[in-house]
Amino acid sequence: MRRESSLHARSGDMSFVADFHQEALKKDQGPERYLKIQLELEEEVSLSEVEFRFFIVSGLRSLHGEVGAALTFDLLEHDEVSNVAVLRVSREGLVKLWSSLTLLGFYKNQRCAFRVLQVSSSPPES
Amino acid sequence: MVRVKSRYLLCEVNVTDRNLLLLLDDRAVTATVKDVVQRIHGDYGAALCSFGFSVKYINAVTGIIFLRFPKKCYKQLWTALPFITSIEARGKKIPCFLNCIYVGGTIRTCQKFLIRYNAHQLRRMLPKCKSDDEKRNIQQAILDCSLTRTHTDEAEDALESEEDE
Repeated sequence: MRRESSLHARSGDMSFVADFHQEALKKDQGPERYLKIQLELEEEVSLSEVEFRFFIVSGLRSLHGEVGAALTFDLLEHDEVSNVAVLRVSREGLVKLWSSLTLLGFYKNQRCAFRVLQVSSSPPES
Repeated sequence: MVRVKSRYLLCEVNVTDRNLLLLLDDRAVTATVKDVVQRIHGDYGAALCSFGFSVKYINAVTGIIFLRFPKKCYKQLWTALPFITSIEARGKKIPCFLNCIYVGGTIRTCQKFLIRYNAHQLRRMLPKCKSDDEKRNIQQAILDCSLTRTHTDEAEDALESEEDE
């Protein structure tokens, strides 16, 4: 999208407005969705990125099988202290990912819950 | 009127050793399919499979089976079938793979297709005959291929033809 705006800039000043409008429209049609989640546990445990990712994949595998475990998602930001993370997933995979996060109840014999803080089709600013 | 619609998958079980085919029974096939759907599609797939899935017909001699799936999820469960590598029947493992040759809306359409398919297979076997006796048997079998119709079936046919897609 950045490339397009630089091309349009040469053709005239008014095209900036049309460009901005188009970008705003394109937001919801983006092929990816971003999920900001927080993992709440009974005791304060901090998970490394690898453990976090493995935990999510195990949840996907239990609910959606091998097909779910093969779903590609990216762990963009991960805060070990507060266990807040941002995941990026394709539009079709959002339902599978969200449903398996909802149904994950136990982490190593501790009860846990995933709170979904924000869902958007553009990367969160923070 | 709302009618419960389903899809019948006509599958052929391919094995290397035909003697093992005779061990097939419906409970083994049901267990295998449920197991593979659980592995590939997880708890969600197992739930889709629990109600509405059944094995309707098994022919152990030719290796043909009819699987019934609900219309809403048959494609998803169909994708799990290629992952079947063996069927465990009566304590023995039969290494095999499933080949789906037809999808029908009713058992009747599957039956009609199966008759045409079997006649086609018999015709293919004809040139490979080694003795005149065998040739005559096969030719007789081809001529015998037909669906026996009763008068109740004809009334049902009109209704069932709506389901075929």
